[in-house]
Amino acid sequence: MLQQLANGVFSGSIYALFAIGFTLVFGILRHLNLAHAAIFTTGAFLGIEIATRTGIPFWALLPVVAGIGAVAGVVLERIAFRPLAGRDDEHFAGLISSVAFGGVLIALIQARYGTEPKSFPYEYFPNRLFEVAGLRVTLTQLVTLGLALALMLGLAWLVSATPLGRAMRAVAENPTAARVVGVNVDRVTAGTYALSSGLGTVAGALLALNIGQTDRGLGASIELIGFAVIILGGLGSLWGAMAAGIVLGLAEALTIHYFDSTWKGLVPFALLFAVLILRPRGLFGHIKVREV
Amino acid sequence: MLAGYDTLITNIALAVILAYSFHVVLMAGQLNLGQAGFASLAAYTSTLVVPTEPLFGSLSPVLVGIPVGAAVGGAAAFLVGLPVLRLRGVFLAIGTIAFGEMVRVFMTNAEWTRGALGLRVDKWLTVDLAWIVVAVLGYLFWRLGPSRTGRAFAAVREDELAAGSMGVDVVRTRMTSFVASGAIAGVYGVMFLYFFGRITPATFDFSLTLGGLVTAVLGGYLVFFGPVLGAGFLTAVPEIQNALGVEAGWIHPLITGLLLLAVILFLPGGLSTLVARLRPARVRPDPGTEPDGLAPLPEPGTPIAELRGLGKSYGSVQAVRSVDLEIRAGEVLGVIGPNGAGKTTLVNMISGLETPSAGEGEVLGVRLGAPSHRFAKAGLSRTFQHSKLFDRLSALDNVLVGTHPVTRSTYLRRLLWLPSARRDERRALALAWAQLRRVGLADRAHLRPGALSYGDQRRLEIARALAAHPTLLVLDEPAAGMNHVEAGELAALIKDLAEDGIAVLFIEHNVKMVLDTCTRLVVLNFGEVIAAGEPREVAADPKVVEAYLGAEDEESEHV
Repeated sequence: MLQQLANGVFSGSIYALFAIGFTLVFGILRHLNLAHAAIFTTGAFLGIEIATRTGIPFWALLPVVAGIGAVAGVVLERIAFRPLAGRDDEHFAGLISSVAFGGVLIALIQARYGTEPKSFPYEYFPNRLFEVAGLRVTLTQLVTLGLALALMLGLAWLVSATPLGRAMRAVAENPTAARVVGVNVDRVTAGTYALSSGLGTVAGALLALNIGQTDRGLGASIELIGFAVIILGGLGSLWGAMAAGIVLGLAEALTIHYFDSTWKGLVPFALLFAVLILRPRGLFGHIKVREV
Repeated sequence: MLAGYDTLITNIALAVILAYSFHVVLMAGQLNLGQAGFASLAAYTSTLVVPTEPLFGSLSPVLVGIPVGAAVGGAAAFLVGLPVLRLRGVFLAIGTIAFGEMVRVFMTNAEWTRGALGLRVDKWLTVDLAWIVVAVLGYLFWRLGPSRTGRAFAAVREDELAAGSMGVDVVRTRMTSFVASGAIAGVYGVMFLYFFGRITPATFDFSLTLGGLVTAVLGGYLVFFGPVLGAGFLTAVPEIQNALGVEAGWIHPLITGLLLLAVILFLPGGLSTLVARLRPARVRPDPGTEPDGLAPLPEPGTPIAELRGLGKSYGSVQAVRSVDLEIRAGEVLGVIGPNGAGKTTLVNMISGLETPSAGEGEVLGVRLGAPSHRFAKAGLSRTFQHSKLFDRLSALDNVLVGTHPVTRSTYLRRLLWLPSARRDERRALALAWAQLRRVGLADRAHLRPGALSYGDQRRLEIARALAAHPTLLVLDEPAAGMNHVEAGELAALIKDLAEDGIAVLFIEHNVKMVLDTCTRLVVLNFGEVIAAGEPREVAADPKVVEAYLGAEDEESEHV
């Protein structure tokens, strides 16, 4: 039982990592970026390829992956979102263009890596097992959880205490007013996407490391859970996404314990549905619910 | 010749049907993404209730299944819609996605569905039947466009608040589109079942939903044939690729993705924009008949609205407090007051956009607190402080939406080509044109609001409000942003309307214009009525002067 709860916390931290990038873009720019799952998958493949080719250690791998992800995020914003700004159908069109961009990314992944799953090199990451108070946890799980928390704290610090973060909050509040007072909205937008996609690729690489391999469907498999996490946490709320990710992981673990593992798929959506109806701003959301 | 292509052509038909289930909600601006769930419920139900052999020896199971699918899908959409339609935008999208996923997980776990193995039936769907269904759907949407219901959909899509104030029942319109979407998705599910002969829970997953959405948006949801264009286009890509002999599996998704990006970036409104460019939509001309059958306005002097102790507070802020007011037919009632005096809150309560937190009142027989469309039906029509025009409709169509409260639904009659529907549409058209002429916009009827000058936009909003043949017209700062000439014309128009017997309540900062046009003046300050009565007397009241210009000794400096 306790073991399952611990596992729940670890899978929850992956959900949270996926979701914070997603919710960052929504919270600041009101874009629902459906290419985030493809960015996530790209991160997994990139991590595996770079690790295989160069053999650079794990701690150096993640920044490289994040850097490439950030560039991909800027390109994504440039191609799929910026040209739509100010159009009547901006929101519908943004959904579709991000789906299209994601589709192109996945097609390119297929072109480069084929359709077979890819794995990290054998024993790339020490496969160590700890026993703490009767719980068995792997080093990967601990590192994932630690990194998720560290990235969260870093992001929260960035948004609340740096000039870029202040500009981001200004844009989230009112882009026009932000522009009037001299915020470079285009640069903040690009920066938001770079951050979001950098986080997304790191999350993808970490999940691949946890399960040891990846295939093209990695992002799609977690995308819907990502929706559930950001709604539960309150769209746009970073801490909410973190907490909701872990709550979901725990809820799934409890479902497996008391019912059956096949029913665990129902948990995120049943929770999501209930929250949407009873408390649309999310369990932890404090921001005003703005309609899109 | 087409014999070898049966599967392909049927596949296109199925894609069109799925896309229509998105089309109908996008038309009304609702992002419903639960279609996979509705299709799944319909298909699985049909394996339970539809006999496996033809009924009466000739009625194919797919023919029995289609109405079953429509009923199951529609009913499910209604039940899901009751809670989720309180949500909007992405919240609605994510809520409906969650519903679809819940159905999928349920079907995977239930015993009778044989889980992931799926169910098998005989393949009964023929290519002819698939295209007959497409033709029926195309017909239904073709006739919907220029009907009163179609305009209500468009109005709700463009601006729910304005749509409600024009008499459109927003809740009902959203639910109608939602149920129609569920029913069409249900038909799709059943047809899929009898075409492929096998369904699994994973058949109806999120990628199916995304595919349908992409097809509908790619084709364009502003014209009825959009789904056909979208489905044809997306199906053509792999076919062309095969014909060119390109084998690699990744080329198809790459080309589809790139084309989709190109269309969405360069053709706002989808592929149908291309067709529209070839043949620009004509503005429906003035039928030249007099709009008849309008109910007479009440005798001047009849009380039409009464407010007693009306108040509204937002948290600790009292925007309006204990306002007593009577409005009589045929009068021009001016409401003035400094910024933040509660003028807009007052008219929002009168027109059903805000619920009073104290006091009570009745406008045209409707108790305050009722939804805005009820007031519109009763004869109240309004404009907004910041224009709320329907951006993607022509000026004429904007005004046609305004006729909603004085027209009857024409859609079902249009399906049957009944002459009375045509008569009703011509009457609405005559009514709309008359208002456009009245405000001087007849030569700009084909333009979208965005292409009009600011003053013209304000006049278009008045024309739209007048199209409802109102007993009481509420104008919220109609002259704001107008120049002297335009404001003078507006004052003349208001006097003209009053002569026709329309009561006008208007908020305005242009005091000269108010004094020229009003028969009665009410002054609000800090949410309270500080003076009311004959305009010149009220304007000379020291309390009013103070509210506007500060204490009396400062007056000389300002004048």
